[in-house]
Amino acid sequence: MPARFLEANEAVALIEPGSTLGVGGMQLAAAPMALVREMVRRRIPIARLVTSPSASLQADLPIAAGLVTEIVSPYVGFEHLGLAPAFRRAAETGALRILEIDEGSLTHALHAGAGGIPFVPCPPGVDLTDIPGVDRELFRRVVDPFTGSEHWAVPAIRPDTVLLACAVADERGNVAFDRFPFTDREMALAARRLIVEVEEVVPAGSLADRAPGTTLPSFLVDAVVVAPGGCHPTEYPGRYGRDEAAIVDYLRSAKDATGLEERVAELVAEDEDAYRARRGGTS
Amino acid sequence: MTDWTATELMAIVMARAFDDGEVVVMGAVPALPMAACRLARATHAPNLEFIVGGSGTVSPEPDHLPASSCGGDLAPAATTLPLPDVVLLEGRGDAFDVFCAGGLQIDAYGNCNLIAVGDWEHPKLRGPGTVGLPFLPNTERSIIYTQSHTPRTFVERVDFVSGPGHPSGPDEERPYRKQGPSLVVTPLATFDFDETGRMRLATVHPGTTVDDVLQATGFTPAPGPEPTITPEPTDDELVTLRAIDAGGALRR
Repeated sequence: MPARFLEANEAVALIEPGSTLGVGGMQLAAAPMALVREMVRRRIPIARLVTSPSASLQADLPIAAGLVTEIVSPYVGFEHLGLAPAFRRAAETGALRILEIDEGSLTHALHAGAGGIPFVPCPPGVDLTDIPGVDRELFRRVVDPFTGSEHWAVPAIRPDTVLLACAVADERGNVAFDRFPFTDREMALAARRLIVEVEEVVPAGSLADRAPGTTLPSFLVDAVVVAPGGCHPTEYPGRYGRDEAAIVDYLRSAKDATGLEERVAELVAEDEDAYRARRGGTS
Repeated sequence: MTDWTATELMAIVMARAFDDGEVVVMGAVPALPMAACRLARATHAPNLEFIVGGSGTVSPEPDHLPASSCGGDLAPAATTLPLPDVVLLEGRGDAFDVFCAGGLQIDAYGNCNLIAVGDWEHPKLRGPGTVGLPFLPNTERSIIYTQSHTPRTFVERVDFVSGPGHPSGPDEERPYRKQGPSLVVTPLATFDFDETGRMRLATVHPGTTVDDVLQATGFTPAPGPEPTITPEPTDDELVTLRAIDAGGALRR
């Protein structure tokens, strides 16, 4: 079935409360914030949040809203702008269960999820860290049946729902990334349900010349939400930059738990159009 | 010229440490290692290549030093590796020569910690997470850098190993097939490692004393040759660096 074009509130209603959610985007780029904001407005609880190798606000905001029980992520932070305040506080108070994982193990686990591979042995490196020792749920010992050598392995990851930001969708719901798909395609292929926010819609056939590896066919996409500028305050590389003032404002307001609660309440009280108007709209 | 900043000196010291033809990888907040790579390319290492974090861009040459490792301003780049390809090659372990890394804590054996200060279950400070630092042992060597040279950053033993360094002590079996950490660069000094894998003071930056460095370091470095003064930037190095850093990211 081709993707359906939905409003953000209709799309996030597809997320089953208490399920596993994957969120795409890397560092301060291509976070599917229009979808994440809508999920926060509707207060959809997430049992397990899986991120790309490096998440920022798409992880910190749902944690700030108290919606996340546990997280699988190699990094939640804001690069040069600072640590992730809600993630940090929830980790330090024990309010969030963290399943520690590194970039390599996560990426291979998503690849395994995409390919029907039950688990995947980890490449060398993580065995010399303290990570497997604190995460016996995701890291188990396996014996290589060919050589007899022992390795750490992680299970395939298949999020129930994945939220991504792409550059464009055509009228049939095929979607395309611009320069940097990051690990978003691996997450998309591992997803049981895929919801994509896009900057714009282009005529059917317009994506024909896009390189393989930068697109996803409509039959893998469950819902498309048109959300110009929807990655705000993160950037969509090549289309618009980061709103660093807005990110710094979030980090400052989050210095204490009350500030975070106020920020979440403000978001819940307005819809995405009002949010876009308030931030002065880049599109 | 003598009006250089400590950060500019760090970039220059790192640039000098790269060899021509090496492939360098770096992670988040790439401005400093990127400046070093571009300076090396512009001077003694024209065939050096570098990969900027999650973007997978190979040797991008924008007109400034980008603050983020995944931004649209990492252009133009000669080529770009998709991030999953970078992850594969970091595991393969023979494609990249130098890993530039840092940590909330760095210990006497070059282990890095980006995960938790204090007990992992009840951390005093929760860090952002380790991203790709477990792959540190898979490059031929690593260069550790930090803007924070304090006793809280430089500790005898990290609370959590998220980026493996040298094995801590002669009894521990050396797991490295490769060199491991070879150089540490801070705003005050540079360190190298002795044959047991313990950090030792190599040079102190101009205007800094050995005592300043020892006061700022939370462990006693291994004994070694008398530390020398880090050679100051040459006019050529500084002019070239400032052309790369037109936005002044290293002068703030």
